[in-house]
Amino acid sequence: MWIKLILAALLGLSLATALRFEPTRGRTPLGAQRRGASDRPRLKLMTWNVGYAALEDDTRAHTEDLLAVAETISQRDPDAVALQELTGPEQLKFLLAHLGGRYRGHVGRLNGGDRVEAVLVKDRGARFASVPTTRADAASAIFRAGTGEQAREVVFVSAHADAFSAVRRRRYTEEVVEWAAARSGRGSVVLIAGDFNFELSSANETNLYTDNLKHDSEAYNSLLKYFRDLGRDAGDTAINERRIDYIFGSPETGLLVRAEVLRGAAVGRMDHWPLVVEIEL
Amino acid sequence: MLTQIKLEFLKLIRSKSFYLSFAVLLGFVVLMLWGFYSYVERKAGGQAVEQFKYTYESKSYFNGLTFALYSVMFSFSLLIPLFVTMTAGSSVAGEARSGTLRMICVRPVSRVSIFFAKFLIVALHTYLLMAFFIGLNLLVGLVFIGWGNLELYPGPLNLVDEPGKIMVDDALWRFVYASFSGTWALLVIAAFAMFFSVLFESPVMAVVVTLAIYVMLYIIGRVEFFEHLRPYFFTTDMDFWRDVFKPVIPWRSFYHYGGVCGVYTFGTLLVAALVFERKDITS
Repeated sequence: MWIKLILAALLGLSLATALRFEPTRGRTPLGAQRRGASDRPRLKLMTWNVGYAALEDDTRAHTEDLLAVAETISQRDPDAVALQELTGPEQLKFLLAHLGGRYRGHVGRLNGGDRVEAVLVKDRGARFASVPTTRADAASAIFRAGTGEQAREVVFVSAHADAFSAVRRRRYTEEVVEWAAARSGRGSVVLIAGDFNFELSSANETNLYTDNLKHDSEAYNSLLKYFRDLGRDAGDTAINERRIDYIFGSPETGLLVRAEVLRGAAVGRMDHWPLVVEIEL
Repeated sequence: MLTQIKLEFLKLIRSKSFYLSFAVLLGFVVLMLWGFYSYVERKAGGQAVEQFKYTYESKSYFNGLTFALYSVMFSFSLLIPLFVTMTAGSSVAGEARSGTLRMICVRPVSRVSIFFAKFLIVALHTYLLMAFFIGLNLLVGLVFIGWGNLELYPGPLNLVDEPGKIMVDDALWRFVYASFSGTWALLVIAAFAMFFSVLFESPVMAVVVTLAIYVMLYIIGRVEFFEHLRPYFFTTDMDFWRDVFKPVIPWRSFYHYGGVCGVYTFGTLLVAALVFERKDITS
């Protein structure tokens, strides 16, 4: 009888322990969350892959969805936006028109592909450039944030790595990182935003070491060598509990104020949600 | 009760499968060492510099502790559960098959105490397997590779979100913790195997059913399409054991999943004990 009681007691104890402790994993916040007012300039950034899930006929952005995209951007009012999977410059023009002329934008070159990345910035004096890669070029904007002595030059890149090949993801990421890291050393605040499709997750998974994992790991670590993963604690950014959209900032980025994934912002058959990061320069 | 445990212990150390489990683990370590050596040689020869230029840029990455970590991680999910299931699955059904169960049960001891003694020995075997395997890996790592700090990068083992490091002294303690957390996780499988061992007359049946359930959930839990099912599988909860290798151990999560594993283990054992108590033994 006493053995059954012991087993029942151990069962009860285990149950109580499981209920008492939350499974939320204790993560070290990337930066202290500053709530008080500060006179340092702030920068709000958004990245959003506005394309559709892989099972759809056309996985690129649909023009009819861009009204909802424009509405989300208007509501959140970011200083710079990185968009992925637009069909081309026409969709960017459409979007800019629906943003009431408050943003200027640029798309990277197609390079024979069928979709492009875009950057949108509020700063009227922004300069734009394409980031050459073997795939469709990433798009970048160089603009100034803040005023007076606190003004900083910001380089903002919109990138989109291959969804189906870890080798191509790695090659693309290294090309973007090389371009961005060179600008980081010149005193500018460099930010890389986009959908990198890395299959990396430290939550409750064991992995036998695979070639794909090796390449994604290498690509992610190549970014971490020069940049901080600012949206790390914001959670999943795409369906199937995947965190594949990132905003990386150079060490000069400053304090992370907030990182948030706007779940519910997706319309149509979009499989990503926008990631919004606010930093203090 | 002590006599029961002593008898079960004698049965364990006299069985060939007990020694087979350690021999196979030894073979696994040899294979791992062979693979690790050739891997490091390629790296040292410069052929893999391009392949691993970010993750393994540190010269001291490949050391005995890294070797032990990889070896333990890779074997934990599939190899060690095999032996735990074999021991637990044959604990009751094996006696039934050999015709000794009836004789054991006519002795003036409760069936539950017999069952519990068998479980304690299964738990001991599980711990010995984990401790032996970890100890052997560390020893081989020290002798053939040499120790250093345990460096962790996002990706390879899915342990960390950003590059981290555990100093050698702390890392050794983490391996000690892992021997206990790993045993606790494996007891879930042991309990299931004991339950089926009570239910079926054939040890093969008990082992196969347990392994089938375990491997099925393990595979389904790894397929991305079924990711939403993953939280409901005990195989997911069992994974908590490796949290001890994170630079900062997430204790709350560790206790939670440890508790869930305890619920699986003791809940199953309780049911199995009740079934065994009322079982009609005809063999």
